[in-house]
Amino acid sequence: MLKLENYRETINKCAHCGYCQATCPVYLEDLLESHVARNRLNLINQVLILGSMPSSQRFKEIVDRCLLCTNCTQTCSSKVPVDEIIIAARAEIGKGKGLKGFVMSKMLQQRGLTGLMSKAGSLVQKMGVAAKQMPQLASKSFDQIYSGTIPAQGDQRGRVAYFVGCGTNFLFPDTGIAVVDVLTRNGWEVVIPAGQVCCGIPAISEGDLAGARDMVATNLKLFDPDNVEAVITDCTSCGMMIKEKYSKLLEADDPLQEKAQALAGKIFEITDFLQLKGLSAAPGSLNQSFTYHVPCHRGWSPTVADAPRNLLGSLPGAELRELEEPERCCGAAGTFFLQHRDLSESIRSRRLEQIEASQADTVITQCPVCRFYLSAGLESQQVTHPVILLSQAYNTVSS
Amino acid sequence: MNGLAKDLTRLIGDGKVLCQPEDLLAYANDATHYFRTQPPDAVVLPTSTGEVARILSYAYEHYIPVTPRGAGSGLSGGATPVKGGIVVDTKRLNRIVEIDRDNMTASVEGGVVLQNFHRAVEKRGLFYPPDPQSMSVCTIGANVATRAGGPRGVKYGTTGNYVTGLEVVLPDGSVIKTGGKFVKQSVGYDLTHLMTGSEGTLGVITGVNVRLLTLPPVTRTMVIVCESLDQAAELVSEIIARGAVPAMMEFMIKLAITVMNNYVFPPLPTDGEAYLLMEIDGTAAQVEHDAETIKGICRDMKAREIREIEDERVARVYWKARSAMYPFIMTIFKRCITEDITVPRSRIPDLVRSVQEIAASVGIMIGLAGHAGDGNMHPTVLQNEINEEMEAKAKQAIDMLIRRGLELGGTISGEHGIGIHKQEYLDWELDQIQIDLMKRIKAAFDPRGIMNPGKIWVEGGQQ
Repeated sequence: MLKLENYRETINKCAHCGYCQATCPVYLEDLLESHVARNRLNLINQVLILGSMPSSQRFKEIVDRCLLCTNCTQTCSSKVPVDEIIIAARAEIGKGKGLKGFVMSKMLQQRGLTGLMSKAGSLVQKMGVAAKQMPQLASKSFDQIYSGTIPAQGDQRGRVAYFVGCGTNFLFPDTGIAVVDVLTRNGWEVVIPAGQVCCGIPAISEGDLAGARDMVATNLKLFDPDNVEAVITDCTSCGMMIKEKYSKLLEADDPLQEKAQALAGKIFEITDFLQLKGLSAAPGSLNQSFTYHVPCHRGWSPTVADAPRNLLGSLPGAELRELEEPERCCGAAGTFFLQHRDLSESIRSRRLEQIEASQADTVITQCPVCRFYLSAGLESQQVTHPVILLSQAYNTVSS
Repeated sequence: MNGLAKDLTRLIGDGKVLCQPEDLLAYANDATHYFRTQPPDAVVLPTSTGEVARILSYAYEHYIPVTPRGAGSGLSGGATPVKGGIVVDTKRLNRIVEIDRDNMTASVEGGVVLQNFHRAVEKRGLFYPPDPQSMSVCTIGANVATRAGGPRGVKYGTTGNYVTGLEVVLPDGSVIKTGGKFVKQSVGYDLTHLMTGSEGTLGVITGVNVRLLTLPPVTRTMVIVCESLDQAAELVSEIIARGAVPAMMEFMIKLAITVMNNYVFPPLPTDGEAYLLMEIDGTAAQVEHDAETIKGICRDMKAREIREIEDERVARVYWKARSAMYPFIMTIFKRCITEDITVPRSRIPDLVRSVQEIAASVGIMIGLAGHAGDGNMHPTVLQNEINEEMEAKAKQAIDMLIRRGLELGGTISGEHGIGIHKQEYLDWELDQIQIDLMKRIKAAFDPRGIMNPGKIWVEGGQQ
């Protein structure tokens, strides 16, 4: 379990080198050492583990003002799982009990209930968020478009299961349509287990471990990783959650533990999977320039950030224009941008400048929240998932 | 908000003063978190030299200790406030004022992060060599204050070799500008280089002028697997004597390679006794020529293996692994204290053997890596438990290491500085006449003893 007591040893692995200052998006905005992993860990240690400092409003603020982007964890040579320690601290402080926690854990536990989702939207608006800052729900969710098993086109190479994240299901079904299109064209039969719920990452971000555990259990019961070549996700955050956190959210002796580990071994981001297995069908051309906003939740696969570059960069007519700092955060971080609007907007403004400077036609990214948040800030460039561009390239062949 | 914070806010404005304990904790230590310290009473985040001057004249008037701070990544405790007071965080002084290609100089504010500066000059085909391993976060003003160096020291020297001028706020709040854009100056005492390495005890460095070089267009990384420590040392001397001086030449023992193999693929062989990781740089023809010279020397002297890393991206992994060595060791041990002894490079084998003997006789593990080309070695005392017995052993090992370094004609610190960590060893290296002279200089700059008290020498910096 992601409980703080399990991190008593690990928290002291922090060498206090301070190298986390190099990549923490919040620190780079504030330039306050209070808001960087080295101090967050030290404080959590003093307040919640050693009890040598009292808890306080300021302490909670510092624990709260973290994007859980994992950039520090990826930078950390001591490999301290900062994100997990922050999540455990939030659980201890008792976050997840507020309105947003309720929305995150209860609403996303159900699917196909678009009505409920829009109710969630109106709740969020009551929190003082203007409509245009909220992503628009798609008129038809992905699970209303596709369900069950979709056969491979041509010779079948194997079967994969598709974990449909909330971003794709509710906001960007076009990503899911492209995932199915590209997989089936490449000989993969796609199984979409019915009854899937949110991966649980929004819930753990709020420190709601019990809520997340329920979602984990629901999803684990639906998937049968042993009978598929891979379980595909199009979202790097769902992927990280399933790969790195599912097992940790269960007790060591939980009967679902074995399945959680099997699923972790089978989960692949769609472009990563396509790159690994190779394309059996040749895509057509992609007559546009694109730039790649690498999602922060990339640490769970060493190749997930190369895949879109390799798959799309070599297509006829495609031109990859690398960003000044390809891995810099956009500031959205799940629902962080709703609660920390000024901070997120100022993180984003630097990112937008870099994207505009690239003068690329299209921005690709494998995170639906980055996609929404960058789109909302960009004037003319469109933001999309790399698999959508790949699907488009296939469709230039068919047409 | 306490009275001090109120006064400071009145001086420099809102949003630039911290006084809550949760914030002060962040500024109570640098990378040497194992020293007991007293958190500051306030932290200020000035954005201009004028603000620093106002803070210092206030502190001077009220006899309040001031500890200047960059990224807090130092390894000597230099940025750790030991007497409370005010921490002056310089990281918001982060403007690159000028990069002058015609004169090959640059002017920056003290809080500019070194890596950002590297990127900015390299975009223009220019080169600023100093490369302390914390370069992704450390600041140039603090590099000057600690005389920071890094692997490139062997060919290019350290920060002090590039500084041509400074803007400094003195303890009483007055501002001086020393040196300038010129690379030559013969006017009175060289205050620029007196401030260089002064560890925040003479004033706050708010601006830095440096000279630049042309960016070498080609680099190549090589690893030499050596039969023995002596062979590694002889190779280093021969390579340098033959003029094929690499930009970086790192010495590593098997333990360090084992650590490095967590990052590099394919893993390096671990059957050698010593290893040299080097980067050669220059024009394509020069690099080719130097590579051939080095390979020839290795063949003649019968090194076990030479690995040339052609792919630039792969090469970067080796160097990243090298710079991650210190924090990585923390995944295995509970505490590691990195030493900084520098000896004449021909004495490296003696030093390495001594390190191994000391480890065995004290009964503690000591890791070892270092900059072979300039004799700057980093024996790292490793503790897998934190208790009185281990701490006593660590202290004993450090004493012995430092003693041995001095016996070999070396110095107690090549690039980290004295800070708190080495103050008790200062008089092992320097005679009393020099220490007294330094104290008189300190008193001339800082008669009230407010600047970074408790550093360099054991008590307070006052006579």
